[in-house]
Amino acid sequence: MAELTSTKLNAESHLLLDQPLLRMPYALSRQNFKSAQRTLEHTSIAVTKDLSSLAKSSTSNSSSPAKTLQDLDAILGKMQGLKRKLESLHDEETKLNHSATARIQHLDELYSMDSLADVKYEHWSRVRLSRLLVDYLLRSGYIESASHLASAKGIEELVDVDAFVAAHKIEKSLREGRSVTPALNWCKENSQGLKRLGGNLEFELRLQQYIELVRKGHEGLHGAGGENDEEGDERMEGVGDEEEDMAGGVELDDLERKRKVAGAEKLMDARIHAKKWLAPGSADTEILGKAAGLLAFKPWDPVEPYASLYSPSRWTHLATLFLTTHHTLFSLPSRPLLHIALSAGLSALKTPSCHSAYTSSSANASSSTTTVCPICSTELNELARNVPYAHHTKSIVESDPVVLPNGRIYGRDRLRKFNEKVGTERGWVRDPVAGVQGEKWREEEVRKVFIM
Amino acid sequence: MDEFREQIEYLERSANLSTSIQDVQTVIDQLTAMRAAIAAAPHSAPLTLAKNQVPIKDGLDRAQKNLLPIYKGLGKYSKSLDKKFKDKPLPSAENDALSSHPSLINRAIAMHLLREGQFDVASTFISEATKHPVQPEPTAGTPNPYLHESWEQDLANGTFDSQNLQQQFGEMYHILHELRTMRNLRPAIEWARNRSDVLEARGSNLEWELCQLQFICLFIGRDLHGVPIEGDESNGPLRAWAYARSEFGPFQNRYAKEVQQLMGAMAYAPNVLESPYRRYFYNDAAWEEVASSFTREFCSLLGLSADSPLYIAATAGAIALPTLLKLQNIMKEKRTEWTTQDELPVEIPLPPSYHFHSIFVCPVSKEQSTDANPPMMMPCGHVIAQESLDRISKGTRFKCPYCPGESQPKDARKVVL
Repeated sequence: MAELTSTKLNAESHLLLDQPLLRMPYALSRQNFKSAQRTLEHTSIAVTKDLSSLAKSSTSNSSSPAKTLQDLDAILGKMQGLKRKLESLHDEETKLNHSATARIQHLDELYSMDSLADVKYEHWSRVRLSRLLVDYLLRSGYIESASHLASAKGIEELVDVDAFVAAHKIEKSLREGRSVTPALNWCKENSQGLKRLGGNLEFELRLQQYIELVRKGHEGLHGAGGENDEEGDERMEGVGDEEEDMAGGVELDDLERKRKVAGAEKLMDARIHAKKWLAPGSADTEILGKAAGLLAFKPWDPVEPYASLYSPSRWTHLATLFLTTHHTLFSLPSRPLLHIALSAGLSALKTPSCHSAYTSSSANASSSTTTVCPICSTELNELARNVPYAHHTKSIVESDPVVLPNGRIYGRDRLRKFNEKVGTERGWVRDPVAGVQGEKWREEEVRKVFIM
Repeated sequence: MDEFREQIEYLERSANLSTSIQDVQTVIDQLTAMRAAIAAAPHSAPLTLAKNQVPIKDGLDRAQKNLLPIYKGLGKYSKSLDKKFKDKPLPSAENDALSSHPSLINRAIAMHLLREGQFDVASTFISEATKHPVQPEPTAGTPNPYLHESWEQDLANGTFDSQNLQQQFGEMYHILHELRTMRNLRPAIEWARNRSDVLEARGSNLEWELCQLQFICLFIGRDLHGVPIEGDESNGPLRAWAYARSEFGPFQNRYAKEVQQLMGAMAYAPNVLESPYRRYFYNDAAWEEVASSFTREFCSLLGLSADSPLYIAATAGAIALPTLLKLQNIMKEKRTEWTTQDELPVEIPLPPSYHFHSIFVCPVSKEQSTDANPPMMMPCGHVIAQESLDRISKGTRFKCPYCPGESQPKDARKVVL
């Protein structure tokens, strides 16, 4: 049987919420390193190649010394660029290492305390709350508030504002800008991690690119509103929707012809794109089949599953998918840490009295001898309504409980203190909940009560 | 933790990009030298170029090879992280009851920021949150989904008046600042005097404590604003006396004893330090006590708890998590589910300061009392839950399970803890 109440602090198990704190800078360091490695490798190969071809061409008579020098300058330029890039990555590396050190320091403080009642623990826990809040704000996209809070509390090194800002930008570009490029770049930067993770973010992004090409193609060929194409592209054969009467007899002017050509080109592009990125085996055949079917169905055809592939809600799906992938890659839990901590905390603190119709004798706002319970306080009361309350196997009551004639139970000591403070006449008692205006009883009417 | 620290130190000290940057610089120097040589002797260009191929390639290879320590260092660090957190999985949040009430969370955060005195952050947050309200994302296991409450709505309707709240807390911080750092009691006394009837009804003696402290301040030679008066310390007791005569009137009845004690100290005015009254006059903790009782009263009058509920709840959450995680694992192993959605299945040990309400657990049924199943006191003074009482008595005269006392069910009285 565990202890009912305990102030013992076990630092090791207390770190449950803090894994992302160390994982994040590590993941960023790794990313940073990979980026350095890639740049160095690419430039090295390019420079070596340039140099050897320069050496070869310089032996032939056709090259002039001026040309050689010019080529050398180009190579030098590449190397300078490499150096600049590495230097900026080195700065980033230093910053990340600093923040890792700060975080380790912060967590290490926990090991020097052994009591939850320690003032140092309270301070530490307040810092942790600020961290959790910043994390929550960042996840909700309240970037400005997050960085404001981080700087107000001086915990910039303990939170990852920059990383979230970057992720948020990409998410926004998907959700609002409807552009896959930033997300695809991100995929490229993290290709290795993503491969290990599995997941279909990149495929989905490529698929979206394809969908957009097909959409543009159809819009070009048919006009955005759904005009029919008389010439009858062979791709369209077998599709039974004919809306001939709409465009019947209208002569195609030059502009329209151009538009159609562009549309056909787009559809061509789409097929090339599909061949390159949506090759068989890159996903299950079902979705690939659907993708192929898109060529036959126009964006305005109310035919499933194609309509939902064309639907703008796919962008929201992509944005969410990106965030989930991003969080998993950086070992961030899918839900804000604040939610996790709070829902555990609300349950641990909640008692049946917190949402009771009766004013609790032991914690209420009406007397100065009691403190307001955090769950009863306005901030959390509604929020806690749906969480389970804490389990107790033993009663917890004030020592020496007595009962007033109205059925309220108080610790004898607290009742006496209250009555002294409000100046109740000697020999009489008042109920702290009712206050000085309330009823008063003779002291003899107060009875001892036994709570086992 | 020391292991981590060593590894990061290693990365910071020796395994970083600076070596490779130097290597790149060396290659740049070589290239520059080569370019100078070719510019000086264009005819030997092929030879110079050929001669330098290998050294430059080597230089570049070296730059790449010098990345290896970073790679190794990071790998080692990653292994340590894995080891450390092996048995500490990220808490999953399948039953995230909070996700369906994002606006309530936002409101709690706004109030937290305001009560912590972070007014700037709070106003940034309120404007950002009003512009982009969050969407509820209930998890599969969430018992009660979205209830159509909206914090933004509250803001618009004025039921959540952040301006008002900010003003209130602004006042609180102003008074606390005056109290703690300036040792100026005036604003606090004024605040308490304006609310003296409410405070009195609560049984709070804040106003008296403040006035008493003011008296002491005057006595030891400060003026009414807490500024020490230079030079004429001997006048302190006189000023205090004057203050007591003008201000202590209303306290005569309730605090007669305390007033007498303070007056008694007048006799020792020349040498309070060695008098029995020393503890009243030289007690620095008194300021902190007054400040914290002021904070408590202030928040209570607003219906709020004295410490930030968000802080207490998050801390309690962190304390509870290991237990909950263990529970989750056991349940997964045994493939069982929670049988009660209202109550946690395990007891969570919290420090005593985290118990706010009294808890009644029926000694017969071992269940906690609720509104539907309240504690009942039998005439003998023993308390059991209503349901237990019904079960034991079956409506007729019965014996108390804890003493020989017998009674009728109708004689049992509902009690409130």
